Amino acid sequence: MAYLVYPLAGLFLPLFPFSMVFNLLYTRLRNPLLRSLLILVWPQIGLAVIFKSGLAVPTWLLLWALLTSLLYALRALVLRELGLWTSFVATSAWALLWILVDNGTDTFQLKLFGLGMSVPFVLLALLGAALERRFGAAYLGLYGGLAQTIPRYAGVLVVVVLAIVATPIFPTFFAMLSMIIKTIPVAPLVAVGVGIVWLLWSWAGARLLQGMIAGPGGVAVADLSQTGMWLYVAVLIGLVFTAVYWLGAMS
Amino acid sequence: MSVALGQQLKIRSMIYVAAEPVPYFWPMRAFIHHNPLHGLEDLPFQHAVEKGAKLFHGEAYLPRTVYQQYLTQGKIDPERLTQEVDQFLAQRKNIPALDLHDMLMTLLSKIETPVMLPTTLINDADVQAELQGSVATDLSPPGRDQLAIHLRDSLLGQRPVYETVDDLYGTEIGASLDELVIKSCLDFFDEGQSVWRMPNREQGFFAAWRQVAMRNIRLFLRGLHINEILAVDDRPEGIIDYVMKTLQVPEEHWVTYFTRELARLHGWAGFIRWRASAKHYHWAQRYPGDLVDYMAVRLTLALALLSERGRQKVAYTSGAIDQLIQQRTQETYLRYELYGGTVLPAMAHQIEKTLLRGRADKIERVFNEYIKQKRVNEARQQGVRLRELLSHSASGDSLATLSVTDFSGLLALLRDFEREEGMCWLRAMESRAIHHLLQGVSVSPPETREKRPFVQALFCIDTRSERIRRQLEGIGDYQTFGIAGFFGVPVSFMELGKGSETHLCPVLLTPKNVVLEMSMHGGQEVATLSALEKALHALKESVLTPFVTVEAIGLLFGFDLVGKTIAPRAYNRWRHHLHPKKPVTRMLLDKLTREQADSIVRAVQRAVIVKAVELELAQSTERLTDELIRDLRESAMGHDDSYRQHAEMLGVTESQLGKFIQRLREGYRINPAFAQLQLERLGRIGFSLDEQVRFVGQALKSIGLTSGFSRFILLVGHGSSSENNPYESALDCGACGGNHGLVSARVLAQMANKADVRKRLNEKGFDIPDDAWFVPALHNTTTDEISLFDLELMPSTHLVYLDRLRKGLTAASRLCAQERLPSLQIQHKPQDEPAAAQRFMQRNALDWSQVRPEWGLSGNAYFIIGHRALTRQLSLEGRAFLHSYDYRVDSKRRLLENILTGPLVVGQWINMEHYFSAVDNERFGSGSKVYHNVAGRFGVMTGNLSDLRTGLPAQTVHEQGLPYHQPLRLITVIEAPFEHARRAVEAVVAVKYLVRNGWIRLMVIDPESATVFIYEDGDWHKQSCAGELSSAIPQESCAS
Repeated sequence: MAYLVYPLAGLFLPLFPFSMVFNLLYTRLRNPLLRSLLILVWPQIGLAVIFKSGLAVPTWLLLWALLTSLLYALRALVLRELGLWTSFVATSAWALLWILVDNGTDTFQLKLFGLGMSVPFVLLALLGAALERRFGAAYLGLYGGLAQTIPRYAGVLVVVVLAIVATPIFPTFFAMLSMIIKTIPVAPLVAVGVGIVWLLWSWAGARLLQGMIAGPGGVAVADLSQTGMWLYVAVLIGLVFTAVYWLGAMS
Repeated sequence: MSVALGQQLKIRSMIYVAAEPVPYFWPMRAFIHHNPLHGLEDLPFQHAVEKGAKLFHGEAYLPRTVYQQYLTQGKIDPERLTQEVDQFLAQRKNIPALDLHDMLMTLLSKIETPVMLPTTLINDADVQAELQGSVATDLSPPGRDQLAIHLRDSLLGQRPVYETVDDLYGTEIGASLDELVIKSCLDFFDEGQSVWRMPNREQGFFAAWRQVAMRNIRLFLRGLHINEILAVDDRPEGIIDYVMKTLQVPEEHWVTYFTRELARLHGWAGFIRWRASAKHYHWAQRYPGDLVDYMAVRLTLALALLSERGRQKVAYTSGAIDQLIQQRTQETYLRYELYGGTVLPAMAHQIEKTLLRGRADKIERVFNEYIKQKRVNEARQQGVRLRELLSHSASGDSLATLSVTDFSGLLALLRDFEREEGMCWLRAMESRAIHHLLQGVSVSPPETREKRPFVQALFCIDTRSERIRRQLEGIGDYQTFGIAGFFGVPVSFMELGKGSETHLCPVLLTPKNVVLEMSMHGGQEVATLSALEKALHALKESVLTPFVTVEAIGLLFGFDLVGKTIAPRAYNRWRHHLHPKKPVTRMLLDKLTREQADSIVRAVQRAVIVKAVELELAQSTERLTDELIRDLRESAMGHDDSYRQHAEMLGVTESQLGKFIQRLREGYRINPAFAQLQLERLGRIGFSLDEQVRFVGQALKSIGLTSGFSRFILLVGHGSSSENNPYESALDCGACGGNHGLVSARVLAQMANKADVRKRLNEKGFDIPDDAWFVPALHNTTTDEISLFDLELMPSTHLVYLDRLRKGLTAASRLCAQERLPSLQIQHKPQDEPAAAQRFMQRNALDWSQVRPEWGLSGNAYFIIGHRALTRQLSLEGRAFLHSYDYRVDSKRRLLENILTGPLVVGQWINMEHYFSAVDNERFGSGSKVYHNVAGRFGVMTGNLSDLRTGLPAQTVHEQGLPYHQPLRLITVIEAPFEHARRAVEAVVAVKYLVRNGWIRLMVIDPESATVFIYEDGDWHKQSCAGELSSAIPQESCAS
């Protein structure tokens, strides 16, 4: 049974090389709604598989998850295509859920962590699609200066990326905090590894913003509508509330 | 390896030539306004700005949308704009089916972005097909040879090799190189900001850097094998030669290549260039460094970075890149598109993946697909732009009927017009400004006065003086004059308590005379607060102490912070009281006689000998007789050996005393050579009576003031006051080398009040009455206050009038503050009293968070040389330099030539600095002040590491993202008979070429014929004072 469950869970809480399936699927799907659905559902399936099977997480698998996370975080540093960046950083984030599983985090909380970590990627997927509609592709360094040309969009993008890279007080921040605090006493090296992943995300996030937001404005395109902007803001505020009231208390 | 001397000299001269277009950058302690394109002033304005824009990657004109706003606001003359379009079309072949005039006017007034896009693959037929709704049939890729030529033109030749590598591999070597070079420059050129300083700086920039670089572990860890390069030669020229040959850059391209290298960090290059030429500059004397050193450092690092990439199989020499283009043309093209930033976004990821895989067949497939898509995209984008133009244009429908030839002609015409439209806008804007001025000037001769005015005031020609002069003239019997703020007296000033000289004159001049400031009181003890402040600074700057300092006394800084923020006026007033007042001082103005100088040198030598005996021989000073000191001095100077007789008295042997004498000669510099040097230095102090008479006479005559002197003649220098502002000196007097103008005013006043000078002047035809008194004053341009100085010297007969004078000055200051208040965006009510307005200004000057304490010279547009009556009735809104001039006292044109040589050239520098800072603040200006950090105590950088920011900050020229300063070329007016003015201009070569090349717009107002002459398009044109052009005057009368 375990031989079947681990690969299956490793597919949905992505472990390399099973992680390639999600990344391939994500890049093939061009529809932003389908992409969003995939992001929301994929890790939840993985968590459900683990909880259903009730199997323990062996140490070698923890290390495997950490290495997967490190690999994808490192790779995200040099990516220029926003879709790939999204899927790689999401893979890196979900792989860390194995550590939370191992920490004995409550099922509901864990599902909430998974959801809280995934929602910013959904927002980024939608933002990426909006960029593709305007420029033909969502690609770093080609039409920098979005802060000048489409300031509303740029503002939302900055906050979404901050949510992804685990900035306080978004859900991912509490997930990472919980992970590190609970891991330090039992596996300090793993905690250090998680810290490095966190650092790499921040670095990758900074590069992403630098390649899109900063610099002189380029081609004039339509900005995000007021309504659109407030929808994004509402989701982000919802995330913060979720994080503070349900997740913050747990860490 | 050592490079031959000939080659070394060749490289030096190449770098000298290459650096010509890079403007000087002066340390910001004395900010000098300059033209960023000064090195290109030998070219016509239009060509120079095009070249400068390419070299410095900047913009030469404002965006079209801003000009369109100006047009709507009436700041641009629409008729002149129409004429410009007509003139342009007159040189082009007509296309009968189209109303080209209407089309171009539509483009100017209704289209916001450029119509013609830069295209690389499409031709005119493709665009026409796109407009007709079809797709071009031939979408085949260009031939390999054609593509290779395009790539060679774009990638090889005169551009730095690493820029090409960055464009082909996305390596960002250029950014890394700039960063390393900036760090090296910060280390070497530091002027006391760093606590740990670079060692061996006295050996020169390259030598000191080389020693550090060879031990730099961080460079080694980055994989930069810098030692291998530096081992080639220890001279900078040898390294430059080696690097250029290693990179396989053909020698005929070296000069242009060097220029491109220097232009990348033109702020640093400009500073080093200036520093190497400033022989008097203390830091340059102590730590020499020039652009050859800089280039060697830069090229060494560049080669190291390129070699490091070369180990990753990146082509990094010109030869290798050429081979790459030849052998893998399609791949190179795709690389250039992707990393050069011009790729179609939709295919960017596919190209990136394909290049990473490196399979030739796949690359070819993607290349073919990309070319096809790019052509379609280029045609479509171009079509969209043209459709927008045609939709607004009356003859848009006629386009469908155009032949291929006519259509191509139209595209070429639009392309050329958009290239030249900046000049059209500029000329039309200048036309409106000229018209505005001419409508207001009065060409009638000034009224003759029946009685002398209450006060005559000489202000600096600075634009900020215009407002205060107007207000002063409006409130009473005040007559004002404009003169360069150093009052024509170039002074090297040594301030009380400071050991270095400050040049108080335009940077074009080098002062010969030194003026010392002497205290009327004895030496003062250092105040407790000052000592405490020094101790705090020392603690802050040390390596370890800041940690403790913050814990221990950090709260003190908190009080300071709260005080400065909450109540800046009251707090600063209180702090001001804690500091001792500056003592009353006098200027040492008169030349020393030979005997006086000799006596001073002897007195100094005696004092040194007394100290030396005390230190070296451990003798108390009471035992030292005058005779002993004299004998020791004479012996040290080599005049005799009389010192021997004093050995016993000093308790030493003869040989010990002999050694002491030797020590006096070498260590304490008591020797004939140094004494001679001291005498020469003393010889520079002060002015002879002849010089004083000449300077005073010249200053008064240059403004036409030779008679009718009033009781008070105010000499008003100007300066600014602001807090926390590295650009403070940019607001001071440019004519005083970026310093306050008070010293120059005091110097001239002290000279002019001397009886001997008066007597000689009156002999020369001046009519200065005995009761005329020259009073130095300072105009604070931030608060508009005028303060009087040296009042204790004023005759008692004048004191009775002093109260009236002060009241008048206060009233003018307040009115001026009230006038300026709205432009500074300080919250105010229209009914605010003048006194309240001035209080706002005072607070502004003391507010340490204020990024715009005043607008400075922003808005400058005119330079008027003539009688005050010419513009007295006209409000020039602080936009005009006003230099008084009366041609009737200048029959030989010498005075006018002097005005053109000095003040006008400085005015043109100021004007161009503002022009370019306004049109492209990021490149030619210095960006936002908010992000500035002081670098090395001589400049500012954006963030913690950037090029030295030259030019003016955004807060000086922009308001809410749009230009506050309207960028115009300096409109210069000379009030004089036409021939008189023309000959003067022709006689001053620098100004003649500035006018001919269009850097200055020159007008002559001939008061005798009431005619205006305007120089335009290489010719003089007559114009009536109402602004209507009448005719071009015969060419022969314009000839030089």
